[in-house]
Amino acid sequence: MLETINLSKSFKGKKVVQDLNLYLADGESVGLLGPNGAGKSTTISMISTLIKPTSGRITMNGVNAIAKPGEIRSVSGVVPQELALYQELSAYENLKFFGSIYKLRGKELEKAIQQALEFVGLDDRKKDLVKTYSGGMKRRLNIAAALLHRPKILILDEPTVGIDPQSRNHILEAVRALNQTDGTTILYTSHYMEEVEQLCDRLYIMDHGKVIAAGTKDELLSILSTENKIKVELNKLDEAFVEQVKTIEGVHKTEVTELQLKIIAAKGSNLISKLVHLTEQHQIQLLHFQTETPSLEDVFLHLTGRTLRD
Amino acid sequence: MKNVLWVQFSKDKRNPLLVLLLIAGSIVAAILFGGGIQSATTVGIFSEEADAAEIEDKWEALLNTDDSFTFEIVEPEEAREDIKKGNIDVAVKVMEDDYRLLVSKNMPTVSSVERHVDKAFQQEAQISAVESQVGEDVRDEMESYLEDAPFQLEAQGLDSEQIPTYNIRTQLLFSFTFLISMFILGFKVNNVTQDKVAGIWDRMILSPMKKTGMYSGYLLYSFLITMLQIVIVLIVFKYVLRYDVGDSLWLIILIAACFTFGMISIAMLITGFVRTPEQFYAIYPSVIPLIPLVSGAYMMPGTITNSVLLFIADLFPLAHAMEAIMSVVFYGAGLQDVMMSLLYMLLIGVVAMGLGINLVERRSS
Repeated sequence: MLETINLSKSFKGKKVVQDLNLYLADGESVGLLGPNGAGKSTTISMISTLIKPTSGRITMNGVNAIAKPGEIRSVSGVVPQELALYQELSAYENLKFFGSIYKLRGKELEKAIQQALEFVGLDDRKKDLVKTYSGGMKRRLNIAAALLHRPKILILDEPTVGIDPQSRNHILEAVRALNQTDGTTILYTSHYMEEVEQLCDRLYIMDHGKVIAAGTKDELLSILSTENKIKVELNKLDEAFVEQVKTIEGVHKTEVTELQLKIIAAKGSNLISKLVHLTEQHQIQLLHFQTETPSLEDVFLHLTGRTLRD
Repeated sequence: MKNVLWVQFSKDKRNPLLVLLLIAGSIVAAILFGGGIQSATTVGIFSEEADAAEIEDKWEALLNTDDSFTFEIVEPEEAREDIKKGNIDVAVKVMEDDYRLLVSKNMPTVSSVERHVDKAFQQEAQISAVESQVGEDVRDEMESYLEDAPFQLEAQGLDSEQIPTYNIRTQLLFSFTFLISMFILGFKVNNVTQDKVAGIWDRMILSPMKKTGMYSGYLLYSFLITMLQIVIVLIVFKYVLRYDVGDSLWLIILIAACFTFGMISIAMLITGFVRTPEQFYAIYPSVIPLIPLVSGAYMMPGTITNSVLLFIADLFPLAHAMEAIMSVVFYGAGLQDVMMSLLYMLLIGVVAMGLGINLVERRSS
């Protein structure tokens, strides 16, 4: 359906997105995951035809969408990261305007507004001014504004930034319903791993403008299938100890959080006995010890050497 | 375009205070400043000679010949005290054949008073000189002679018998109306930048809406709301406050429309240089008050003679608008007479609009 081939974008000579290859099949829910500054929003802007790529191609059903942006625009709805709403107008007035720019008129427009408001759970507050809404309600309206013309592809750029867990769940449920019930194709960007895990069939992990891994959740987790994740809680932690842990054979990554040490190591590396030995050497008391199955967060750590929140 | 017009109007309908305040502000400013200049300035005169009362009476009669000033006899102590405290700008100490000005601060009125007093004393000195030579009272004889002098000067209007009467009060009415209108239209044009930063512009770009429709919507709304302000102010002054704004109201509105178009384009040009609405709010209100000053909108026509200032003034629509309006109001000029000014404003508008939209588009890409 939608494909990008070697898509790149540079700003003032700096490459923000590099050779991005991405595919979006009809009815799929695809996640674009990466830390802040990874190039997700630039990618979204290029795919939604708001900015032109420096090089590469975007095709929509085989048609060059850079030359013919209408191919994508006519079937897509974009939920921007910023709240693109008139704060001094009501939700109804906002949707009336955004519907009218898609040439919806009369009863058709009223129906679309009503459906969008009900879908995001704002029907009872439609006459209130947007500036009186909570952050979560504004985010929901931001999504509603992109749904009025019933797009086949919904592109969401970090739609849950800075909102409470309840509104976040509401948004995630709504997006899931759109995909599963209405068959809307979803491209969802986020730096929240759990959101993408929950919503998406396939994932693209981006860092420094490049896709560093892509596939289904299981495919991505299989990257760490030969590794174990071990969480160790200690009564104290010093640098020398961590440095020595890193030198243990089979240890790939370590991450320190206060008195907790997270270690990703090859399976069968006899790590436990070596760790116990080291704690005795450094006179550190081992309080808790846990082996976990690696998550996508660990995959990201493994691939980039840093966490998503870095 | 219609939907952009509607949404801009809906925003102002929700919060009309700013537009209403600006309309009221232009009326109040024109009344305050125009009224202040038009009313006669009262100047105190006093004498400290031996026959003070006689001298004061003589000069009071000779000085009160003009509607611009009213000369009143005051006590010398009172005049000095008012000058010391800065309550008055100027007082005149009169002597038999001479005078002194007491000045507290160098305001424009002081030089006007000085010119007026000097003229009266010079005239009186000439009459005294003739009298001393002839040795008899020639004042009545001179006056009757001047009434039927061999050379008579008659001032006449270009196309009518009526002599045009310039009135700064009327000029200031237009100056302040246009000053406020520049703020209104600027704030409305800034909605383009505001909506760009908010992401609303991007939503419109992704919709089937055409870019020309988007720009037209914002600019037409800005034009209409500014014209509404100008027309309301003109109607209030013409029909409520009974100002003489000439008979061709339609021509004045046409000039105002060309001016508004020209200034919207200038505002668009400034929009092209800024990234955020806040930057616009910082730059635009700093530049706008300078335009009437450079264009001489607060001064009598012909006051500014510096060629550099005149050149700068010509780059903005205000100088052309004021020139055209003064011609219509005071000299009864018709459409043909002001056509050049209208074309200048339209030219400025087209050039600035082209550059402005180009800059905005370049910034977007």
